[in-house]
Amino acid sequence: MIFDFNTAAKAAIGCWATGSLLSLFARRTPALKLPALMLSFAGSLVMVGFIASYWSLLDRPPLRTLGETRLWYAALIPLVGFLVEYRWKITWLKYYCMGLATFFLVINMLHPEVFDKTLMPALQSPWFIPHVVVYLVGYVMLAASSVTALHNVSLQLRAKGNVNGESVSHYLALLGFVLLSFGLIFGALWAKEAWGHYWTWDPKETWAFLSWLAYLGYLHACRYKIDRGKLQWYLALSFLVLLVCWFGVNYLPSARNSVHTYTQS
Amino acid sequence: MVVVRRRWFQTPWEFRESSLGAALIVVAGFILQYATSGQGVPPLHLPLNAVILVLFAVLTLGVGLGFRENRLVQWLGGIPLGLSLIVALALLSLIGGVIPQGEVAPGSLPALLGVNQIFSSWPFALTVLLFLVNLGLSLSWRLVPFSMKNIQFILFHAGFWIALSCGVFGSPDIQRLIMKVDEGGESNMAYSRESDSEQQLPFSVFLHDFSLEEYPPQLFLYDPRKNHALQELAKTTTLVHKGVKASWKGVAVEVLDFLPNALPGKNGIPEPADRTAGVAFAKVRITSTNAVPTYAWISSISPMMKPWAAPIGELLLVMAPGTPKAFRSDVTVRGESGQLVTATLEVNHPINVMGWKLYQMGYDDEAGRWSKYSLIEVIRDPWLPAVYLGFFMIMAGNVLFFWNGIKQKEVAS
Repeated sequence: MIFDFNTAAKAAIGCWATGSLLSLFARRTPALKLPALMLSFAGSLVMVGFIASYWSLLDRPPLRTLGETRLWYAALIPLVGFLVEYRWKITWLKYYCMGLATFFLVINMLHPEVFDKTLMPALQSPWFIPHVVVYLVGYVMLAASSVTALHNVSLQLRAKGNVNGESVSHYLALLGFVLLSFGLIFGALWAKEAWGHYWTWDPKETWAFLSWLAYLGYLHACRYKIDRGKLQWYLALSFLVLLVCWFGVNYLPSARNSVHTYTQS
Repeated sequence: MVVVRRRWFQTPWEFRESSLGAALIVVAGFILQYATSGQGVPPLHLPLNAVILVLFAVLTLGVGLGFRENRLVQWLGGIPLGLSLIVALALLSLIGGVIPQGEVAPGSLPALLGVNQIFSSWPFALTVLLFLVNLGLSLSWRLVPFSMKNIQFILFHAGFWIALSCGVFGSPDIQRLIMKVDEGGESNMAYSRESDSEQQLPFSVFLHDFSLEEYPPQLFLYDPRKNHALQELAKTTTLVHKGVKASWKGVAVEVLDFLPNALPGKNGIPEPADRTAGVAFAKVRITSTNAVPTYAWISSISPMMKPWAAPIGELLLVMAPGTPKAFRSDVTVRGESGQLVTATLEVNHPINVMGWKLYQMGYDDEAGRWSKYSLIEVIRDPWLPAVYLGFFMIMAGNVLFFWNGIKQKEVAS
């Protein structure tokens, strides 16, 4: 491996931290704006590079364990922050995103994982990568949507109008919902090939269905006369259902017979 | 803004009445479940379930189009009731997502209420039925008069209606059976997970060969007094190969030599052997603190051979066989009218034969790669094409939803 995990993680966190600092200074000195963005971006690039080298070393996609999925979130969440800044000129989201990514990397540094190349036969499928990646990106969008909604709630509490922020949390939720739908159906199509049935109410499936329903509910409430401003709390909290689905399921009594629990190491 | 307080059941009915409606249907379901002693919904098979589903669809469409000005029908197909039913479905799913499904004593309260089999219980069935009514009515109003503007709505909602209704109505028609076929043998009998009674299939399966590939073996410390393996050593390294080092509480282990397939030879030194008979051997150096290093050969296990282990204090250093990497069965399937299909079954690579899908399911776990038989799951689901049609419509609807969302955003900004 070109560099070990701790070095890569520290380098990425360093890039995000200095990038964030510079971009705070850039409010007064606009010349710092570009270096700030490039440094923050470099942090994610370091993680992407690490994932690529880890992938080739493992001879399998690093998507099998919870810790491995955290690597992907850490690489991708800041990118959503940069995208939102680029698209909607909203600058604050990227700080939250880089903070969240740092949090994921710190968890991984505190709980080092076994370097394990094995991949059980059921996971050896062309569906493995699309199913997990679509979900990953969906979760990333919905995490950003939830953070935006929380920010909107805090603005509401201080009685500040914020139509732009509400449309960001809305479109991120919409994108996230589309990706959840694809993830769910890809999962069903894969399950038919691997386990013989497209839907068995496995606890992970049940929770994926629940989180899908949560966002389905949001979209219908939005479509009806309910004010988007009032739905920010709902959007902020919906992400909790996703968190249960992502790793909380492992701790539930129903998970005993699940085929979906991540390898614990 | 003046807040006008609505009275109960003031038309048009909204969220209050809808929540009440959804709550009532769930409660009615639980009462029905209790009254039928926790029997759940009786299974309806083809063609009866298909006839009922078609009648249900026609009725929903007919009522939606014939009475679209009726207040009650408008409420039944409206968003408030839809949202309330989404919440009800979510709460029922929450029960199924928290309470372990399918393992309580019959006659106990959870069984009588169906919470251990929530997805085949009356409350779930009635909620899904009302949800299908709601979805179907809203769909009928977008279908007629038809407009391309509604295509995204139609694809998503009709897809969901088809997938959900066919999945639920069709579930009693799914047959999942297991065949045990010996190497060099042929069978046309299968049994289900629920009952051991065998039934005859319209085809037979001949097993030419079962084969299993493994990952390299793993090192473990085994405690003979407690009869269990300690995981700690395996955590520092997993796959055994030449040069691997592992350590545990002041004991260092290094693999000096590794033979993937070998048999015991003269003077206690293993000799390479054929894969069908040999097991993995490793020469290890064990170094404990303040002690002279010891050298030993250890091996994994096969039905023909006990494993070689090396003592470390009161523990034993053992080598467990690697986890399965792939396993497959070479089979020939023969239909009743004599047609032959030869194929290889593997996990994730089922084959379609005469309306059935054949899956590589398992093997003799104790014998591992020396298993003399293969377990094959055979599955028939006549409703699958309809459910998949629904899935693809949902996906198409989602692509348009995504696209329209982006376009609206551009208009808004």
